[in-house]
Amino acid sequence: MNKPKIQCVCGFGCGSSLMLRMAIDDILKKHGLEAETFCGDVGSCMANQCDSIFISRDLAERIKDRANVPVIVIEDFMNAQEVEEKTLAYMNSLQ
Amino acid sequence: MEVLIQKENIAVNVEAKDWQDAIRKAGQLLIDSDHIKEDYINQMIDGVKELGPYIVLTQGFALAHAAPNKDLVNQPSLSMVTLSDPVEFRSPHDPVKVVMCLACTDKVTHLDLMSRIAKKLMKENIIEELTKCGSSDELYHVIND
Repeated sequence: MNKPKIQCVCGFGCGSSLMLRMAIDDILKKHGLEAETFCGDVGSCMANQCDSIFISRDLAERIKDRANVPVIVIEDFMNAQEVEEKTLAYMNSLQ
Repeated sequence: MEVLIQKENIAVNVEAKDWQDAIRKAGQLLIDSDHIKEDYINQMIDGVKELGPYIVLTQGFALAHAAPNKDLVNQPSLSMVTLSDPVEFRSPHDPVKVVMCLACTDKVTHLDLMSRIAKKLMKENIIEELTKCGSSDELYHVIND
């Protein structure tokens, strides 16, 4: 299977989404997993081709009804354990 | 190694009457050090009004930022304030005691800066550690050492 494309989304696609993306990159590396990660903003993220969207709770409300890929809600962007569990759960779901 | 947050962009035990004021105080440091123009602060506040308090990323910590803007931001930079009295953002992670402002010119120039600050901030109990700093010198060392 091709490398999954994970889109990390925040309001403007350059601040919190970037922190999340870096956390996910670290986890993928730690577990020897491969995925392409990139950042998007909530206004335009639906137009970006991807296989999943990682996003905060309140922004998720804005897109979850329209999204045609899995939307993974992160409650706490700086909780390494939560990000790790959800990233691994998503990666496992692809197998 | 280049510092993550310059000393003049740090203040501790700042008084803020609400979340908007807290963002203003953190942003003002970047105006005073000539990193951003005032309108960038307004955009950070408008961002929260429009999109909600998602910028409160974890318990007690908000990352304020606006869309990348070359006209309003002179160079990618960060500022940080701790608050004498925590403020409410109406977030599940309230009350907020630490506000960090990120100013970016585009989507890539600040990548290195963010990757380094992210590593610092993913450390356990870091927000607690930051709020305990009694001086900007002390906070400077927690962030930059």
